[in-house]
Amino acid sequence: MADTTAPRDARDKLALLLSLIPYLMDHDRAPVTDVAAAFGVTPKQIREAVHLIAVAGVPGESRAYLADDLFDIDWDDLEQNDRISLTHTVAIDDTPRLSAREAAALIAGLQYLGSLPEHADRDAMASLMAKLERGTAAGAAQVAVAPVSLRDTVATIRDAIDARTQVEFDYVSARGDGERRTVDPLRIESVNDDWYVRGWCHLRQAVRTFRLDRIDHLASTGRPISEHAAGVVLPERLFQGSSDDLTVSVDVAAAALPLIADYIPDEAARVRDGDIVHTKVRVAHYHGLKRLVARFAGSITVTGPEDARAAVAEWVAAGAARYDEQGA
Amino acid sequence: MSQHRVPVEERLFSLVLALVATESGLTKNEILSSVQGYNSRYREGGDNSALERQFERDKDDIRELGVPLETVEDPGDPGNNQALRYRIPKTGYDLPSDITFSPQEMTLLLLAARVWREGSLSAESRRAIMKLRTLGVEADDPVVGYAPRLRTREAAFGPFEIALERNAVVQFEYLKPGEPAPTKRVVEPLALVQFHGRWLLQGHDRGADGPRTFLLSRVIGQPRVTQTTFTRRGTDFAARAIDQLEEIWLRNVAEVDVVPDTDARLRLSKREDTEVTDDGHLLVHYSDLALLADELAGYGPEARVLSPQSLVDAVLQRLQTTLAAHREETVSG
Repeated sequence: MADTTAPRDARDKLALLLSLIPYLMDHDRAPVTDVAAAFGVTPKQIREAVHLIAVAGVPGESRAYLADDLFDIDWDDLEQNDRISLTHTVAIDDTPRLSAREAAALIAGLQYLGSLPEHADRDAMASLMAKLERGTAAGAAQVAVAPVSLRDTVATIRDAIDARTQVEFDYVSARGDGERRTVDPLRIESVNDDWYVRGWCHLRQAVRTFRLDRIDHLASTGRPISEHAAGVVLPERLFQGSSDDLTVSVDVAAAALPLIADYIPDEAARVRDGDIVHTKVRVAHYHGLKRLVARFAGSITVTGPEDARAAVAEWVAAGAARYDEQGA
Repeated sequence: MSQHRVPVEERLFSLVLALVATESGLTKNEILSSVQGYNSRYREGGDNSALERQFERDKDDIRELGVPLETVEDPGDPGNNQALRYRIPKTGYDLPSDITFSPQEMTLLLLAARVWREGSLSAESRRAIMKLRTLGVEADDPVVGYAPRLRTREAAFGPFEIALERNAVVQFEYLKPGEPAPTKRVVEPLALVQFHGRWLLQGHDRGADGPRTFLLSRVIGQPRVTQTTFTRRGTDFAARAIDQLEEIWLRNVAEVDVVPDTDARLRLSKREDTEVTDDGHLLVHYSDLALLADELAGYGPEARVLSPQSLVDAVLQRLQTTLAAHREETVSG
């Protein structure tokens, strides 16, 4: 017998069962669809959970699970109207406590949100975190995120998103060129301490993702966003490949592979060869590639095409040459 | 295995209900012989070892959901495992009734949960929200303008997080910068913290017999969560780890000469706590010299480190390594 714990799935289902009971006690004749929406699961999952609850209970004094020892529901209301009414409850009737990890996940998430300007009220955040901590049986797990200060950039863009107005800023591309951009901002996104704004770029006439730390001289124009932007549905993936992208072959140290995962196209093969993985990365141009490769010295080597290798070599040679300038 | 098999969640649910309902607790035999999900497979006077192992795992699962499952020794028969009684005190099970959230707080909690869109903590935050939904508080307004996310791409995060909760010693291979080969570490994990975008494990290194901080991206392979547990002495390990890192960050300063109007100039000047000297150089703070060297090497000719010398050497060494790997032609032409 394999010594495995119950699949995550079973724990999710148990959490749903334990949460449904107090919820249903507070919401008499709750429509299945409403309950499903409240818990973020499908109506089918709710019906299955309710069927399970209706036949569960405590052993009771007889240890025979007699009718009085079981939960009960109004079956007619469920079958005819798709509504749930608990008509008899046993043992539990209240919201369960959070686990150490559940509380830690929310607390660390809140700490991270503390970087955002409107959540800079430390006292309000601290009191919310203290409540979560108190909502566990034995304290939250020790997971924490140090917030950074995001300056005014985020606040300005956020206000423009709310007001559906345009912003302008100087943007230095990875290529090193600076250009004034007019952008209809749609959403502020982040991955750990890298922050981005996504929006409709009037210069490129397309949706673009901009790093906040490459934005300079940001100004709010007050002009309403364009019709293009109003119709955009942002894809979940932060960086979208473009047909103009260049694909280059690389050798990556296996340990560094997760760190550059964003650059590896889904369809690229990953061929393991000892500690090295032969694969491909996709970049908009060699200017981005050379920076990426130079940042992972010794962990990524471009194997082709030759002009990509040359671009990287030239970049790092120029970098190294700067240390000769000092003279003696 | 058995034709009477009930879904796992039904067995766990029945176990929770039975243990909440009992005041004095139930012995293992009482549980196995009477609780739904076990009782149909229980053999009176027979071998129930498989069922007992199942119960042990179920106990862990229930506890990991935050349900306080207690064991009570029989005062007349201490130390006898068969006489141990199990129960879930209702006061320990229920969320304290004075814990309530305002609609604004609920909005924040939903956003905090959505920060974890991948990795092991996304399931945890989903379950936490499920539980808090029962309080019947609606969020005041859906947040559409933000999609912040915390990522835990490092393979070590999952095992470390589990070890942290179980107070279990972990073993892993760790490659310290500047060392030619990884070394094996045996560590009591105390906190997982993210500092300036990097996940770190704070723990007690049993080999070095002292506190150590490990960058998760330098852990080689998959850490092993051992069966050995330890007793943690103290609290607030995560907050203290962040304070220490902050001290190191403020103490370490590099002077960098950057080319105007470049990516390096802009991004390094927007880095937290960066100052500009009278002659236009940037004073950049860091907590880990090797990480800063990686970043600076990426800027190529846009940045030249002036001090400290150790950072100059580290950046130059990286540039030369990359140059050596890309200089020779792989194919002619």
